[in-house]
Amino acid sequence: MKLTRIATCLAAIGLFVATSSVVFAQTDITGHANELTGTTLTANVYEQCDITVPTGITFNVGDISDPTIASNASVSVNNIVLATATKQLKISIQASAASFTPSVVGAATWSAGDVSWDNGTSWTSATGAAGTLSSSAYNAVATGAADTASFSTTTLKFTLAANTTVKRSGNHTLAMVWKVESIGS
Amino acid sequence: MNLCLKTISALAVALVLICPVKSQALKFHSDMNSIKIEAQPGQVVTRAYHLTLDKGEKKTQFKAHLEDWWRSEDGKQSFYRPAGSIKHSCASWITLNPAEAAIGPGETLTVRISTVVPADIKSGGYWCALTVDEVADPLKTAPQGVGVVFTASVSVGIFISITPVDRNAKILQLSGNGTDTELKVVNEGNCPLGIEGRIEFYAPSDTTKPIATVKLARTTVLPEPINTIIITAPLPETAQLPNGKYLVRAVLDIGLTHYIGAQKTMDIVHGTSGIQPEAGKGR
Repeated sequence: MKLTRIATCLAAIGLFVATSSVVFAQTDITGHANELTGTTLTANVYEQCDITVPTGITFNVGDISDPTIASNASVSVNNIVLATATKQLKISIQASAASFTPSVVGAATWSAGDVSWDNGTSWTSATGAAGTLSSSAYNAVATGAADTASFSTTTLKFTLAANTTVKRSGNHTLAMVWKVESIGS
Repeated sequence: MNLCLKTISALAVALVLICPVKSQALKFHSDMNSIKIEAQPGQVVTRAYHLTLDKGEKKTQFKAHLEDWWRSEDGKQSFYRPAGSIKHSCASWITLNPAEAAIGPGETLTVRISTVVPADIKSGGYWCALTVDEVADPLKTAPQGVGVVFTASVSVGIFISITPVDRNAKILQLSGNGTDTELKVVNEGNCPLGIEGRIEFYAPSDTTKPIATVKLARTTVLPEPINTIIITAPLPETAQLPNGKYLVRAVLDIGLTHYIGAQKTMDIVHGTSGIQPEAGKGR
């Protein structure tokens, strides 16, 4: 491996770009230099976004021996403001429990890992990732494109695996958390 | 007949107005700033986080708390664990106020983040995550049948540097396949490192000007518990980078006064597993 050391000034420029998050609004004033008593207006713009996530999905399980696909879910992140053009927002999901709560206490039901989502989902300005739900880690669903102002989908498909051990009809419910992350130093 | 239809239409409109259908979504606006603090032992620092509920939402309860956080090596998984799970956690230095509150439509939740750096702390980088969770409404009806109830959560990083910190990283591997190039980087310092950079492709006959350059998304590599990261970047299109032999150079900015890098000669064949280091050269 050959280490490349590149000019310090270039590194300084890179660092400036990486850390600058303050926007200066400036007004031009005409007059003699010694007459100017200028006021600098500073707008401190936070990293921010608008988030819309669904509140739930239903699997209409007609046949427990076949996988069931829920209706399309919509997720959107808009008005994204981040510190640099290379920083990205990520949406992930994690189950709050290892398994569904069955309609009858102790009855067989689905585990969190029986829920999956596909990467055939069409995302606008984001890269989707297929995954399986876990109760111990947040798994990525999509990462916004670099420098995008928004990203979204209206066709996120969740699938519930077949489970022929289920013997009780009724409500089987699982809680799940949508996580929007912008964690980075 | 017409009168009857008009009456029915008016009643339908009135019903919609009286009982608006709740859109199946939660919408809110959130700060996404990582909170970065450069401090000395014993110092007290205060910051704030803001979350605003959309005007079309119902009153919603949110809970703020501190967690330890890290990512898998490939960045696809994020792990949140109780404060104090890692050695470099700063969660115990921080108090949040309020820790839980309900806000109405259009209202803003402001969480005050007060940090008291321990007087006897060693220099280095410390971090945790501020997580703000939507609290599930106990009165909300669960979906009928088999269903999943979602809640929303936002996490932003809190990074505290106790100077002087040791910023140190090394590129362990530069490799790829027919669609992507991959870099494996290890953090050998004592603080989280924000990494930006690029991968440059040179014709072997002219290594002064790259034929193609791919910018890398900004990422973070932590010093623990997983101190390596794999950074993946797509190969340029075939039109820009035809199949052939190239010198591939990775250049990373890790916040030092100089960049770090690695290079090697590779045979690139798009769409296959055919990006190979040339025998006997490079890493």
